[in-house]
Amino acid sequence: MHQQAQLRLRKGEVEKLGAETFVVMPLDTYRTQTFKEQNWLLGGGKGPFGKEKSLVFATPLSDPAGQVSAIYGVSRRALRWGSWVENYPHWFVIDRKGIITFILKPTFATPTSYQDDIEAVIAALKKASGQSLP
Amino acid sequence: MNPFLFTLWFLLFPVLGQGGEPIANYKKLAFPPMSENFEKGWQDRVLADYEVINNADLKSLRVALADGSPFVRAIAAYALGVRGDTGSAEALAGLIKGDKEPIVRIRAVEALALLKSKPEALEGALKDRDPGVPFVAKLVAGQVKSNKDYSAQIRHAYATGIKREDLGRAIVGKPAPDFSALTLEDKPFHLSSVLGKKPIAIYFAAFDG
Repeated sequence: MHQQAQLRLRKGEVEKLGAETFVVMPLDTYRTQTFKEQNWLLGGGKGPFGKEKSLVFATPLSDPAGQVSAIYGVSRRALRWGSWVENYPHWFVIDRKGIITFILKPTFATPTSYQDDIEAVIAALKKASGQSLP
Repeated sequence: MNPFLFTLWFLLFPVLGQGGEPIANYKKLAFPPMSENFEKGWQDRVLADYEVINNADLKSLRVALADGSPFVRAIAAYALGVRGDTGSAEALAGLIKGDKEPIVRIRAVEALALLKSKPEALEGALKDRDPGVPFVAKLVAGQVKSNKDYSAQIRHAYATGIKREDLGRAIVGKPAPDFSALTLEDKPFHLSSVLGKKPIAIYFAAFDG
């Protein structure tokens, strides 16, 4: 949820680039909708997202059999909570020609690594859109 | 052996044997310690999951609920939910209450929610000692009350199958593989509808995003 929260903070930049963002969940549509609408992980606390109901700005897509995730090579690779179906979180950026230009595997190594991840994704989107970096 | 029974066994064995084969193949997968992520062999796990969910017979799945491997118990529990086997609801509720591995309890919770059965077991899962189990129980709580058949949605998704050569095709510098997913309105979305028209960022999330 941190990745989605950070992306939402950069919503204006994404829209200015004319870019489209998606978040793929290896879940049925019910649970994907719950993911979009309920901020359970960061909600309720004293942090910057504590009072927000939904943190998802990207278009959510349901991947009930994890097929898309497997095609992109991120499926059944993480043992968090012991579930092989879970995706190992990854970002993919695709340019205007339909070519993959950037892949990021978040490390979740530090409390601020989410910000760095989104910074890198926005930079890759700028490059993919043909805009030069500031 | 009675010649009639022998002939019957001879004729039926290939069918029954094949139905149990997916679980037998699943048992051959290499699994790491529970505390580690493990990338090696992920393609085999994808293909084995598809094989179990699409082809394992219900009898072998029910037997597998008592297997010594938590991974086998987990996939069997989930597959029974996806396959809509309400006859296994009692056994799944038993796993939620008594299985020592969270992975199995989580999968049993998901399965019972898909079966829309044993709400009291799902209620109990909200108080589970492992944080992952109540999280998933909360996630699926509304699914039980829903009129929609989500097990059918998942079955349909698995039924399209997957080929080994299609796994892990997303590579920097190469065209993005097209795919079909579902929107929240349950409509098919094809990446090709936006591909080549605008820059795109796709995030593949875990349960918590």
